[in-house]
Amino acid sequence: MDVLRVDGLNKVYGSGELAVTALEDISFRVKRGELMALLGPSGSGKSTLLLCISLILEPTSGVIAMHGQEVYRNAWTGIDLSRFRRENIGFIFQGHNLIPFLTARDNIVLPMYLTGLGQRRARPRAQELLDYLGIGHRAHALPALLSGGEQQRVAIGRALANEPPLILADEPTASLDTARGMTVMELLKKLAKERNSVVIAVTHDERMVAGFDTVYRLKDGRLEVT
Amino acid sequence: MDLAIKDVQHHLGKFLATIAGVGLLFMIVLVMDGIYRGNIADGLWMINNTPADLWVVERFRGGPFNEQSRLTEDSYRSIAATPGVAAASPYITYTVERRMVARKSQQFTIVGYDIFGELGAPTTIVSGRTIRRAHYELVADQKLGLALGQQVHLGVHDYTVVGLTKGAVDTAGNPIIYLSLHDAQEVLYQQDNEALYAQRDSDLRRLRAAGLSYEQAYRLVPVVSSHTNTINAVLVRLSPGANPDKVARQIQDWLYFNVYTPQQESELMLKGRIERMTAMLNIFRSLLIVISTIIIALIIYVLTAEKIRSIATLKLIGASNWIIVRLVLEQAVMLTVSSFACAYPLAMNLRDKLPRTLVFFPSDILITLLVMLIGGVLASLLAIWVALKTPPSLALGG
Repeated sequence: MDVLRVDGLNKVYGSGELAVTALEDISFRVKRGELMALLGPSGSGKSTLLLCISLILEPTSGVIAMHGQEVYRNAWTGIDLSRFRRENIGFIFQGHNLIPFLTARDNIVLPMYLTGLGQRRARPRAQELLDYLGIGHRAHALPALLSGGEQQRVAIGRALANEPPLILADEPTASLDTARGMTVMELLKKLAKERNSVVIAVTHDERMVAGFDTVYRLKDGRLEVT
Repeated sequence: MDLAIKDVQHHLGKFLATIAGVGLLFMIVLVMDGIYRGNIADGLWMINNTPADLWVVERFRGGPFNEQSRLTEDSYRSIAATPGVAAASPYITYTVERRMVARKSQQFTIVGYDIFGELGAPTTIVSGRTIRRAHYELVADQKLGLALGQQVHLGVHDYTVVGLTKGAVDTAGNPIIYLSLHDAQEVLYQQDNEALYAQRDSDLRRLRAAGLSYEQAYRLVPVVSSHTNTINAVLVRLSPGANPDKVARQIQDWLYFNVYTPQQESELMLKGRIERMTAMLNIFRSLLIVISTIIIALIIYVLTAEKIRSIATLKLIGASNWIIVRLVLEQAVMLTVSSFACAYPLAMNLRDKLPRTLVFFPSDILITLLVMLIGGVLASLLAIWVALKTPPSLALGG
């Protein structure tokens, strides 16, 4: 079964003469364990597409389905979007976006706390993820005391915390140097294969997408397979 | 996981500094509460601590505290003879602007009472005794800083401190000095020799100008000169079973005085002398609460604005609105309660250190805390609105 199915997705900002088409007839499918990259220059519609499949921005028309469940069909289908998001999507951000007042471990505990998992079960799991990501020894450090690479690993850990079927990464290497960026990308590939998750990475850096299963290029709101 | 507490722990120094600032503001609110109640307590102290059933004062006057009241000293005798009156006693009260007492320039009130009667004597003596000799003894309140046995120069004589009271204050919160009636009359009305000579010369010239011979004028001078046997009120104790209204009417109609029960005297005080002051204090108290609320609102708003990207991230990863509301609301409540906890002991410590009397009622403190809490919650509404309005998309992008 497809983890994510997008059919004929359109997004138009404004109306009448001022209407701007940001996404036009976007369709794609991704399966478990698949790595997908979205490439494109600024203004190509990458962020708009990411916002739509993150269930944050309402498209104008089309279909978005996750695990066979349609969450959007020309309108939201009435599901609790916040709940659906925290149970099904993990996010990795360009600027890491760790909560500055939580330790590395608590940042990973956070999504589990939001789904109602108790601390007793959440903490060992968070520690396990930190160990998996190779930063177990930094569990009690605040984000400000972590390097950029370590912060991005914690962010990946947070995205994996609830074992979501879909991980969306928005320019995950943009704030890292090339070597650290490559390491993060390798890590994403590894977890997609090992944990059978779907990873959709949005980037403008073509060097980072080597080894991805599918690479899409967005140009003026239209999707092209490369 | 309590996000609000984690955030506070992370910014502990800033949070403590904020608590100190808001706590001082709350302390001022509590002190204003205390001054407000203290103002009323001071205003009514003399009435509540004078065991009189009726206060008799000059006709058409609201005396002796709200308005000047002058009666001749011997008027108490005819009042004492009124049916239903068990005892009547002359009474003087007079605020002395400033005198050097205990090496300090101090303002106080002199109360003169008949030491052989039962009414008007000090009721809160904590050391020493009441006045037993007709002259040159006084009882003073501790606030004046006098010691037992100390000599105090008042008017033209020296007086010995024989007793000390605690909390004996006039309507403005000034300490009281108790004297025998005649000593009080002397202190208040008797002039020194030079002033007396000048007064007599003046009286003599006026009588001579009116056409009297020198001898006639000289003989009349003591008659027209001012005398000291004036009082401000007569305190009345009723016979058992006597009807206060009936006795008061009898005194008013037959002796041509104004008569007030202690309750009426208190009402005169509350509606007259201290009404504006209490109204002003109430306005300031309300203003301070509003200002505190605005300050808390600004602080909570700034604290929320500082973590707006974290809030966007929380929303993006699926935090419910309640989690976000709790984060802001909990901090507002924590700030309010901690500031109050800081303010309360400070205000209590100031109780005996301020020149005005502070009176704290537990009910007032509880109400103030509740008002502050409501203010704190209201103050967080702006920040909650901003937090809830934050789009999760803010977390995406650079």
